Amino acid sequence: MIEIKNLFYSYGDSIALDDINLVIRPGEAVALMGANGCGKSTLLKLINGLISPDQGSYSFNGVEITEKKLQDAKFSKLFHQKIGFVFQNSDTQLFSSSVYDEVAFGPRQMGMSESEVDIRVNDCLCLLSIQSLKNRIPYHLSGGEKRKVAIACVMSLNPEVLVLDEPMNGLDPKTQRWLVEFLNHLNKAGKTLITSTHNLELVHGISNRAVLFHEEHTIAADLPTERLLENVELLKKVNLI
Amino acid sequence: MDNLKDHKIEMPEWIYSNENYIPLTDKDTFINKSILSVFHVISRIRMQDSLDNSRFKINVSLNIFFTFLLIVLLSITKSFIFVVIVIVYLLSILSFTEADRLVKILKFSISVTLFTAVIMLPAFFMGNSYSSIMITTKVFATTTSMGLLSYSSKWNSITEALKLFHVPDIFILILDITIKYIFMLGDYSMNMLYALKLRSVGKNSNKYTSMAGIAGTTFLQSKEMVTDMYHAMECRGFTGEYHICNKSKFKWVDYIFIAINVGAILLFFHFERA
Repeated sequence: MIEIKNLFYSYGDSIALDDINLVIRPGEAVALMGANGCGKSTLLKLINGLISPDQGSYSFNGVEITEKKLQDAKFSKLFHQKIGFVFQNSDTQLFSSSVYDEVAFGPRQMGMSESEVDIRVNDCLCLLSIQSLKNRIPYHLSGGEKRKVAIACVMSLNPEVLVLDEPMNGLDPKTQRWLVEFLNHLNKAGKTLITSTHNLELVHGISNRAVLFHEEHTIAADLPTERLLENVELLKKVNLI
Repeated sequence: MDNLKDHKIEMPEWIYSNENYIPLTDKDTFINKSILSVFHVISRIRMQDSLDNSRFKINVSLNIFFTFLLIVLLSITKSFIFVVIVIVYLLSILSFTEADRLVKILKFSISVTLFTAVIMLPAFFMGNSYSSIMITTKVFATTTSMGLLSYSSKWNSITEALKLFHVPDIFILILDITIKYIFMLGDYSMNMLYALKLRSVGKNSNKYTSMAGIAGTTFLQSKEMVTDMYHAMECRGFTGEYHICNKSKFKWVDYIFIAINVGAILLFFHFERA
């Protein structure tokens, strides 16, 4: 599904990703782990086609994703429908005047009829247990509520892959546990999950495979989550504990 | 938030299948252009971080003072030879800067000069050739010297150097905060544009409503950030007074810089008297 080969990316002089090789198969739940600034968020942006690699290649469903290809509006829209991205800061994802409109934004763009949009939006609100927020202004919600609305917005597009950048940040323990359970259900429903996190307590709940980043922006390990968490020495080496 | 403990997650049917969706074509260059323009501003500010590697680090206060003095002298001089000497001096300083920075400065000053030259063309053909050439060369010299200043000094050190010119501390603080917030809110609005781009998977007939939403949210965010910062400052004892101390010291390269600029001033008077 996702194939990354010898990928390099840098912001001016500073290297963000150095020779990254990664294959993610459909239905997998992968956690990207590493200390702050190791390149996790950059990789997620790259997977979502927001930035293009300096060197190397990135393929999605067998098609190489290049800057030129993403300039083709039709291809770009189809690609973005298939990969949903939940940003680290939910505030940046919410721009409509009500939660309902926010969740309906995607389905309306997909050309669904208003009755279909209504069903899809209500399903999403129900799925995330936020029906009561339907008519609220997104900006005035609490951190946890905003995160749920942001996930609902992405879910309403029904993407095949869900990419989440530090989804546990700023959430209370109860909402964190709920989110873990929710992501588990999504994965069981066949969705591919890619989550960046440095929350060691919850990572085994949201992934069955973990990719550990070195501070030198390379991949230090790619192992089943449980096995990676047992390797304390390695986690110390990459400054995660 | 609703009671999470009692909520059982039930997946709707449509989640189990992939969307059979073929997008309609739509013009969305406005999102890409907006992202590009915000990205340009942010990378310009971020680039300031790597400005430490200039080969000759001249005292920023001196650099500001003599740059503005040079611009004043260039504006009031009637001598073409003086302008040419200044250009030669600026180009020789420029030759010591890094290649990519040199290209950026020259690209900017040459494009502004060309624009001025085009505007001056009618005057040139109407017989005012001397004034036209004079103005065009003065524009080149002025933009090059400003380019040298902005590409060789960090913005925070420029604002700090303003202290030497008795600019009120609170004004310097406001300038610093403005630059900081241009960056932070720029980054914030760029992420919002990214989010809009990612969710724009079809035909959007209300593009400008989404853009207005982004502008509104950015405004609300800035208001919140400003309030938070003010409260944080209050907690740290801020009562309206803000003190900045300029700790910069003179080095040998600064004395050479002063000597060259004093020479330029003397040349100005020499050519004005001639």
